[in-house]
Amino acid sequence: VKTIATYSIKGGVGKTTTAVNLAAEADRAGVRVLVWDLDPQGAATYLLRVRPKVRGGSRRLVSAKGALAEHVRGTDLEAVHVLPADFSLRHLDVHLESTREPTRRIAALLDPVRDLYDLAILDCPPSISLASESVFGAADTLLVPVVPATLASRTLAQLTAFLDDQRDAPSVSPFLSMVDRRKRLHRELVDSLGSTWPELLTTTVPAAAVIERMGVERAPLGHYAPRSPAARAYRRLWDEVAAGLWD
Amino acid sequence: MLTTFTHPDLSPDAVASVLTAAGFEVTAALPSHRVVLDTFDGRLSAAGLRLEHHRTDEMSLILRDATGAPPARLVGATPPRWPAGLPAGPLRTRVLAVTMERALVPLLNVRSQVHRAASRDRRGKATVVAELHEAVDGDGGTTWLLEVHPVTGHDDDDRRITTRLLSLGFESHHGDVATVVAAMRGVSLVGTSSSPTVALDPKEPALAGFRRVLGNLASTIEANRQGTIDDIDEEFLHDLRVAVRRTRTVLKEGKGVLPAPVRHRFQEVFGRLGQQTGPARDLDVYIVGWDDYVAPLGLTADPGLTKVRAEIERQRAAAHRTLSKILASDESRHELDEWRAWLEDTTLEASSSRSLGAVVAKRIERAQEKVLTDGRAIGPDAPGERLHDLRKDTKRLRYLLECFGSLFPSEDRKAFVNQLKDLQDNLGAHQDAEVHLAQLRSLAHDLHQRSVVDTDAVLAMGRLSDQLERVRAEERAAFAARFARYDRKRNRRALQALLDEVRHG
Repeated sequence: VKTIATYSIKGGVGKTTTAVNLAAEADRAGVRVLVWDLDPQGAATYLLRVRPKVRGGSRRLVSAKGALAEHVRGTDLEAVHVLPADFSLRHLDVHLESTREPTRRIAALLDPVRDLYDLAILDCPPSISLASESVFGAADTLLVPVVPATLASRTLAQLTAFLDDQRDAPSVSPFLSMVDRRKRLHRELVDSLGSTWPELLTTTVPAAAVIERMGVERAPLGHYAPRSPAARAYRRLWDEVAAGLWD
Repeated sequence: MLTTFTHPDLSPDAVASVLTAAGFEVTAALPSHRVVLDTFDGRLSAAGLRLEHHRTDEMSLILRDATGAPPARLVGATPPRWPAGLPAGPLRTRVLAVTMERALVPLLNVRSQVHRAASRDRRGKATVVAELHEAVDGDGGTTWLLEVHPVTGHDDDDRRITTRLLSLGFESHHGDVATVVAAMRGVSLVGTSSSPTVALDPKEPALAGFRRVLGNLASTIEANRQGTIDDIDEEFLHDLRVAVRRTRTVLKEGKGVLPAPVRHRFQEVFGRLGQQTGPARDLDVYIVGWDDYVAPLGLTADPGLTKVRAEIERQRAAAHRTLSKILASDESRHELDEWRAWLEDTTLEASSSRSLGAVVAKRIERAQEKVLTDGRAIGPDAPGERLHDLRKDTKRLRYLLECFGSLFPSEDRKAFVNQLKDLQDNLGAHQDAEVHLAQLRSLAHDLHQRSVVDTDAVLAMGRLSDQLERVRAEERAAFAARFARYDRKRNRRALQALLDEVRHG
């Protein structure tokens, strides 16, 4: 199984919408997907219409190896399963702390289900914490949405500097998210970030009301606005990500 | 795991009403066409995989297994003949890992009108999904089938609808709609085996055992005949050719067991068929082994070699066309029918009272003696023909061990055959290189005469010829050690123990 994490230190940058839309694209591309919602807000769980309930809470989730399968739920996307989140995940750091090798814990928990899926997408909460380090220990790639803002480059630099000190750190694939081309600042930052960050993916996801509607539709964009520019952008993003994983 | 339900009395409308009453939303009907795809020999099925192409409002290729993993579905895909032609990704990787060089063929077509149905929770998420297939063409009449898909994490909902359906007199069947339709039509979804092994009793009359072995080989020839005529993939010809060679070996070893006129007649028929299949198979092997020959030269994309390969492919296509005509001819059909008629003749009586076990043990003992005598006589300077002869000796021994394989303890026999195979691999690689070298020289001469190649191609053929000569020389040099490994006391004793078992067993 390949593992990608939608991750950012900042909140509200499009991590969850990316996780859910990429899962939907993978579903149509012959890929069996496990979405692991690690955010106590449970937005991915909500968008996939799954009950936000972790039986036994995050303590049980991280304590017993091999227990992950009992928490997995099917979704309306045939090839996509989800490990739902609930509010107990706000204590995830504390519960990871009490395990042996907490920074390898998420990878170890994924081991027993590795043969069932081709791709695990970890949807992460916005922070840099012990849980984040455990995600870094499990992921092959961090998919980092970057909103064009003056501090975006600095935030990305902080993350890469942190990962430079880690053993077996995942690769970082930033991409521009919530881009409004009508704004001059956005256009300028899109150009400058591209030259500063050669790893930047070429796909740009626009800021769009149709993406915000995901919360109302509780479905990926491909289901209710498949021809929208935003849906097309996620399709291109998937192609770019998949090419890096399997070509 | 999918379950399919039937009911002896209910109409599709009544089934839809049952679903509605159980809280399912049922959609209007759509035309549906499902095709089960596998290799001819059922490699996906043997690996626990099911590949289906579905066409309803959209097309998709669906790969399921029995592990509890979600199905993989490739939306928009047309039914593939070659898995290598699928888009890069895990589905292609999983299929190719099992099918390897074989083409995918349709094993079953199911056409119907499908209603989709789902029971949803208060969040609007499906907790059980069903498909009601109407107007399914089953065993001659039309029928309906209800396929229920459980949703992971919603076992209670699945149990609830299953219990409800069973209480109303529905019958449940393991598997999807295609599984049930295949059972109705008597179609196998596990592929066609080319195994030469049939059930045998060492104490039965030798004639009965020989006829059963030959009957199984005749079925393999018949099963692979049409695929060879249609040139679906090279394994059809391979399996047909091996079955022909095995038949020739069993006929030859049937002296004193099979009636002499029949033996002579069909030794001639299958000898001729063996020769007729040779050129096409040699060229198949050339194409299959091409990358291995060319890769060490670092010339995979060399324009000169590309022209040479194109010419070999042209010759291969011509050889297959010739073979197809022969196999499709009335004469060939008549000969195979005549052979089948003799094999199925129930009035034949054995002229000898010898038991099968005793006859087979004797024949194998002789074949082993020939391998050892011929192999020990091959010194470093022996000509290539002697290795070719030894290769034939080893094939004779192997075919006997495989065709009469059920007389022996399975694991011990396989262990011995593996030792023999190790020697055969060396002899086979040596002979392939020699044959391909000769073909290349003939090809170079032919192309030069016809002035259809440029200097690049001539030079490329020279490089390829050198590479083939290197392969040939390496395999020749490796022969002595390979043969010594086979000719160990431990191996000889292992075979003797197998034969003793059959004689006394």
